[in-house]
Amino acid sequence: MVRLADLPPAQAQRLAAFDCPNFTTEPWVTGPPLSQRRVAIVSSAGLVLRGGVPFRGRDPDYHTIPPGTRPEDLLINHVSINFDRTGFQEDWNVLFPIDRLNELAAEGTIGSVADIHYSFMGAAEPDLIEPHARELAGRLKQDEVSAVLLAPV
Amino acid sequence: MATVAISLIRPQTEKTRPPRALWVPFQLGRPFGPPAEPAFQRRVVLAALRLLERPAGPVIIEDFPDDDPREKADPSWRPPALPAVLADRPPSGLTAQLDAEILLLADLHRRWIAEHRRTAVGLSGLSMQEIGGYIDEWLHGREPPSPNDGFSPLLLLRFTADDLKAYCLEAGAAQPGKPSSRQLYDWFWKATAAGSALLALRHMLLASDSERVKLIAGNFLVPPPYVPSTARVATIAATSMGPWQPGQ
Repeated sequence: MVRLADLPPAQAQRLAAFDCPNFTTEPWVTGPPLSQRRVAIVSSAGLVLRGGVPFRGRDPDYHTIPPGTRPEDLLINHVSINFDRTGFQEDWNVLFPIDRLNELAAEGTIGSVADIHYSFMGAAEPDLIEPHARELAGRLKQDEVSAVLLAPV
Repeated sequence: MATVAISLIRPQTEKTRPPRALWVPFQLGRPFGPPAEPAFQRRVVLAALRLLERPAGPVIIEDFPDDDPREKADPSWRPPALPAVLADRPPSGLTAQLDAEILLLADLHRRWIAEHRRTAVGLSGLSMQEIGGYIDEWLHGREPPSPNDGFSPLLLLRFTADDLKAYCLEAGAAQPGKPSSRQLYDWFWKATAAGSALLALRHMLLASDSERVKLIAGNFLVPPPYVPSTARVATIAATSMGPWQPGQ
């Protein structure tokens, strides 16, 4: 578990002291009820399609997870080896909860699920990611997405 | 664009201050909880999405209350039976055992694919026999050319190492039971030839003159909890072939 008190002291200290971006604004966007929201997943797990071009090192761009992607099509290509991968090997919903979103949409709890989802490789430099993230926001708006589930690894 | 984030390391979320975040007490790599537990995963997803309906913010950081039940060890799980790893061999002496182990685990890996209809092996684009052969070359102190034009030899080494780990961990998990990740990783790093090969390779490549090679070896082959202690390093060093050199 990632309760810092349960980790070795050196690792806990490193994680707690990790240098994070210092944002100067605090955005707050509201929207319609959940039952009318269109939800997309944006992962930072370095998810890529089998046979596609992988992330090379700390590439700051994002990869697209298109409609019809099957569990056997999706690989994890994050540069870090310091997290569990056995959960994802068994069930992609551990990192990419698309089946859960589709169930919530089918029962009407959320409005719909976006056609396309996305993944960055989260160890990239935040400053280099930013222009890609801004471009991605435009794509999400075009797809009329009204809620983004940000999924780390 | 309204967002809600899953948080795995709470202090980092407190620093970045996203509009809405759900902190979860799960291990890194499992932001939505345990595998094959759809009801549990649903509760995590819904707890996060419900934060979108809060009328006031920012910043909202809430805590998910429940631990991942699959983090507990399964005492019924037994690792695959494999020959003992001959740890006193030089790195090149591990190659035959690595190749044999890949074959020994093949049936279990086929069982894994049959049961789960997927595998996380595939980054390198090579077959498991080719992956074993590629890592063998590095263990012999050579830098083999990459058979994939798009990948440098070092990038392919990282991908083949990831594929080798995935293959063995999936084969191990194909045994009856629901092992925790800790059970699987302990087995991989302490009892398989694949784990020993990657440990030996890490040690060899850290002696390289190339900073790039040392960067890959030190950071992207073996997770810190499984890096040998000083005493273990001394043992390996005493039996190794010596520093790795490009083109050797």
